[in-house]
Amino acid sequence: MDRVPASFAVPKASDSRPPPHGRRGILARLHARYFASLWDTVVTLVIGLPLLLMAWFFLKWALVDAVWVAPEGKACQLASGACWAVVAEKYRVILFGTYPFEEQWRGFVTIALWIGWGIASGWRRVPLAARLWGWLVVAVVTVVLMRGGVFGLSLVSTDEWGGLPLTFLVFAGTVAGGVPLAVLLALGRRSDLPIISGLCVAVIEGVRGIPLLVVLFFAALILPLFLPPQLNIDKLLRAEIGMIIFFAAYAAEVIRGGLQAIPAGQEEAAKALGMPYWTRMRKIVLPQALSVALPALFNDIIRAFKNTTFFSILGLFDVLGATKAALQDPVWVRYGLEGYLFVFMVYLVFCLGLTFHGREMEKNAWRRLGRGEA
Amino acid sequence: MSAPATPPPMVEMVDLNKWFGSHHVLRDITLGLAPGEKMVLCGPSGSGKSTLIRCVNGLETFQEGKLRVGKTVMDGSGEALAAVRRATGMVFQHFNLFPHLTVMDNLTLGPIYTRGEPEDSAIARAKPLLERVLLTSETWKYPGQLSGGQRQRVAIARALMLEPEVMLFDEPTSALDPEMIHEVLDVMEDLAADGQSMIVVTHEMGFASRVADLVVFMDAGEIVEAAPPDAFFAAPSTDRAKTFVGHIAREGDQ
Ligand SMILES: Nc1ncnc2c1ncn2[C@@H]1O[C@H](COP(=O)(O)OP(=O)(O)OP(=O)(O)O)[C@@H](O)[C@H]1O
Ligand SMILES: [Mg+2]
Repeated sequence: MDRVPASFAVPKASDSRPPPHGRRGILARLHARYFASLWDTVVTLVIGLPLLLMAWFFLKWALVDAVWVAPEGKACQLASGACWAVVAEKYRVILFGTYPFEEQWRGFVTIALWIGWGIASGWRRVPLAARLWGWLVVAVVTVVLMRGGVFGLSLVSTDEWGGLPLTFLVFAGTVAGGVPLAVLLALGRRSDLPIISGLCVAVIEGVRGIPLLVVLFFAALILPLFLPPQLNIDKLLRAEIGMIIFFAAYAAEVIRGGLQAIPAGQEEAAKALGMPYWTRMRKIVLPQALSVALPALFNDIIRAFKNTTFFSILGLFDVLGATKAALQDPVWVRYGLEGYLFVFMVYLVFCLGLTFHGREMEKNAWRRLGRGEA
Repeated sequence: MSAPATPPPMVEMVDLNKWFGSHHVLRDITLGLAPGEKMVLCGPSGSGKSTLIRCVNGLETFQEGKLRVGKTVMDGSGEALAAVRRATGMVFQHFNLFPHLTVMDNLTLGPIYTRGEPEDSAIARAKPLLERVLLTSETWKYPGQLSGGQRQRVAIARALMLEPEVMLFDEPTSALDPEMIHEVLDVMEDLAADGQSMIVVTHEMGFASRVADLVVFMDAGEIVEAAPPDAFFAAPSTDRAKTFVGHIAREGDQ
């Protein structure tokens, strides 16, 4: 006596068919996204209207009522909108700082090189090695060009460097020196030898506990008092070393996080194959750890770009410092807002470019690693 | 009557002892693996099988006793460690393939960077090995694109690239679905038939009875019993081994 179950399922043969269409068209979609319910409508209006209003006032000020050319600043005094003439007037100082005026074509070439290679190497198919070699060439050309003293170029001391080329160089030097140092600190922190791990922990924690401003002051102004006078290291170079160490202390912790994400089995397999320590690190552990650490590492890299602004307190004129100096001119001093907005845009554009680079590199890394665990 | 001249063992342990902290995980382990023979290690979880096999290639250190692999006496020096790793190949339970490298690079990286072998020569040697483990079509894929059974066969080929005198397998099939276990065991049996010396930690009784020259049963860090497979599975002489064989036989029935 089989009991008939109360549950049921009905076998049916059906052809595959497309899903039912929702309402299409822009209006229908806008409605669905922003005004679907009373609550949605309230949120849209409460947040959206003030945003629209602000955008309108800003655009009116920045575009409609703006003044673009104003010899001697006359036209600006009457205008109710932005005075972009200040940028047209001062852009050479903003971009190149105290660099000798008649040599500023070198700065133009430098900026073109960096932007050019920045865009070209962002192309996803450029292999990492080619990117890095390209940047090395760009950096070397920049230093030779900016410094001069060869190929008939007049010598320009680093004290006179400034503006965007200085920002680029300081940033590139920070990353180029900082990432390898960070890797060493992160590996050292995991060392079995207490003296090495202790030293690395001391450097990382010590530097992380000090404000960047203090590190730079120490490197640029106090360090020389302790060094023998014959050892005359350039101020720019000293400050750069401070930047590198500061960057490395943070990045080391990011990389350590990446190292911890790699299963112990990876290193064991490499050991079983007889690979010595540095081969294991270079070929097996670091490629994976850096891929994992990449998003956080780019966070630090973008911050390093903005930290170049700290150089202005040492009397070295990065873009922001140069802008500040340019706006001291009594004719234009009232238009600081426009000047600063312009540099903010410059920073924003370069930081977005860096973000884009980071995303591309992440995609490349995950195209390989993301195929799942092995 | 003259005893036949037996060659010295490939791997020899004499009264080897290991502690993790105060936990005594290997106790007076004494064993020898004759050239060309196969030893299967079995025993309950936590009995020290992995620790023992990892001592053989220096992934674990030990505090007391003697270990010899080939001509090398393990004395903790860097040279001894390198020599022992050159003489052994290891296959892990969780494959441990390098996920950022293709199958081919997984195979060739070791020889290129530990022996300085030229890349084309390493590639030339890798091809027949991949053919042997039936993975020629997967040569340029990444580990994440392969099934578990395929990954473990890549891992075996990778270990064979160093032409090891002894192959060490630590539960090579226990992370695999049943239908993939056979493809891995087939490769291992093929290898065994070729005269490769091996030490295998496994609970695959069928494999053990077909391939093993000696089954070693461990419990709580001790070698409790050692016998050829027929004798061991038919009539374990100790109670602990009887219980264990009973357990795995019941699992196999399911
Ligand atoms: N790194 C370690 N630190 C401390 N104790 C450990 C470590 N590795 C293993 N042990 C302990 O040593 C003992 C033996 O472990 P081992 O992994 O060798 O056992 P096993 O026989 O391989 O077991 P399983 O069948 O679960 O793999 C266990 O009690 C385990 O908890
Ligand atoms: Mg184990």
